[in-house]
Amino acid sequence: MTKSSLSKPMGLLVSIVSVVIALVVWQILAKQGLLGKNFPGSLETLKELQWWLSDPFFNNGPNDLGIGTNLLISLRRVMIGYSLSIVVAVPLGLLIGVSRLASSSANPFIQLLKPVSPLAWLPIGLFVFRDSELTGIFVIFISSVWPTLISTSFGVQTINPDYLRVSRSLGASQLRTITKVVLPAVMPNILAGMRISMGIAWLVIVAAEMLLGSGIGYFIWNEWNNLSLPNIFVAIIVIGLTGILLDQLIGALQKRFDYQL
Amino acid sequence: MPANNDYREAQLSIESVGKVFTSEPGLLRSLSGRRASGGYVALEDVNLRIEENTFVSIIGPSGCGKSTLLNLMAGLDEPSSGQILMDGLRIRGPGPDRGVVFQNYVLMPWLTALENVIYAIETAQPSISKGSAKEQAREYLSMVDLDKAMGRYPREMSGGMKQRVAIARALSIKPKILLMDEPFGALDALTRGYLQEEVLQLWENHRVTVVLVTHSIDEALLLSDQIVLMSSGPNARISDLIDLPRIRPRKRNMIETHPDFLAVKQRLEDHLFRETRAIEEK
Ligand SMILES: Nc1ncnc2c1ncn2[C@@H]1O[C@H](COP(=O)(O)OP(=O)(O)O)[C@@H](O)[C@H]1O
Ligand SMILES: [Mg+2]
Repeated sequence: MTKSSLSKPMGLLVSIVSVVIALVVWQILAKQGLLGKNFPGSLETLKELQWWLSDPFFNNGPNDLGIGTNLLISLRRVMIGYSLSIVVAVPLGLLIGVSRLASSSANPFIQLLKPVSPLAWLPIGLFVFRDSELTGIFVIFISSVWPTLISTSFGVQTINPDYLRVSRSLGASQLRTITKVVLPAVMPNILAGMRISMGIAWLVIVAAEMLLGSGIGYFIWNEWNNLSLPNIFVAIIVIGLTGILLDQLIGALQKRFDYQL
Repeated sequence: MPANNDYREAQLSIESVGKVFTSEPGLLRSLSGRRASGGYVALEDVNLRIEENTFVSIIGPSGCGKSTLLNLMAGLDEPSSGQILMDGLRIRGPGPDRGVVFQNYVLMPWLTALENVIYAIETAQPSISKGSAKEQAREYLSMVDLDKAMGRYPREMSGGMKQRVAIARALSIKPKILLMDEPFGALDALTRGYLQEEVLQLWENHRVTVVLVTHSIDEALLLSDQIVLMSSGPNARISDLIDLPRIRPRKRNMIETHPDFLAVKQRLEDHLFRETRAIEEK
């Protein structure tokens, strides 16, 4: 059966049914004690979720923040770190793409640093900045910069040379060709990289915040210390939904810049 | 061809031009033409003078170096030996005195038809105001009958429309010479015929010189004042120059019935057949 043989509303219906089935199975398994003693069921979790969402932005001190408050703290860190990474990755990617000198100089570092786990940067950040806020932003930056950087420079290297020839034949300067032709031509590559970078940033912030003392990641850590599993599931659901939203945001941008070359 | 002996009358003058490609595509390695030095000699000692306002077609077997020669005239590539003069000055790069139309249109897909032409105008005249750039772009697009398609993106246009945008773009920088590399090769016969007429019109109204690379004998016969025949590569040269009767306007049936055109056609066919056989037998 091909994907298209299912109509759109039908597909949505199937999705909803599958979620409902999963919730039911979860509830049954939990109540039967098959997931361990005191493992929360889906009903209990949903009730908790409803409670947290009914007043998301309360603030009763550092260890008692509403889930929305924590989420905003995390989003703020992600947005700053991520924006910095894009601001660095795009021009640097363009440069690496057009200049053999730049690509040869940058490549060893890219190859070496790209596979390093984001959390390895935490101690470095804490040592250098002596500040958990800056450290969080730094870790987001350093782990989300690579996909956009690589995708941008790849885009430049695989750009249709005809565009460059046309621009040159019109007498355009190098700079004009880069800003008016290369940049728009690699926009789809930049956005594809930005989408992956965004995914990584959101993935990393949760882990990083467990050590940072606030944000949705710290919320999970805190609830683990409280042994409140339902609240952890609440956080997981909120994190997942936020992740979808962020991804869709860039997905929409991608549609806008899909030229169907 | 008496006029051709006078240097001062040539607008574009190609003098003993050779072109050697040193980094050849892998496929070529198996072919002959490699010199001891390791380069591929595409053109060798090409001489040609093109007079102002003439319509010149370059015809030759595929792979002989027609695009290479056109790129040299455009300034997109440099000759390995010899030189090309434009109005007496050596060509050192692309310039707004030469407009180029490529076979596969090459419109920027993120720009509308209008924006594609505006990009050319603003590139050629950096100090122009936004308003007059737009106004000029509109004029050139309406010249190629694209009044209704100015806001369209390349993906929303047919091949013929895209090529007309490309022609408008090339003309919008007000070149003295229009260089066209098989501009109609990818189009269906009807669109091709229509665009040929349109290019003739533009040529007559604008008084530009046109250099057209083509592999179509009929196209060359219908449009040109002069036909340049190239031999097969490597070491391609110009093997013949044919002046056509300067009958304008020229009707399509004329080239099929007029004895002068028929004679030229025969000559072209013989030449292409010979050169193509030369390639096949290598
Ligand atoms: N950049 C290049 N590097 C190496 N060889 C090339 C290059 N461009 C063209 N050639 C070779 O030069 C010859 C002439 O090419 P071209 O001018 O494109 O032929 P035509 O336009 O007449 O079909 C061909 O054999 C081609 O493979
Ligand atoms: Mg060619």
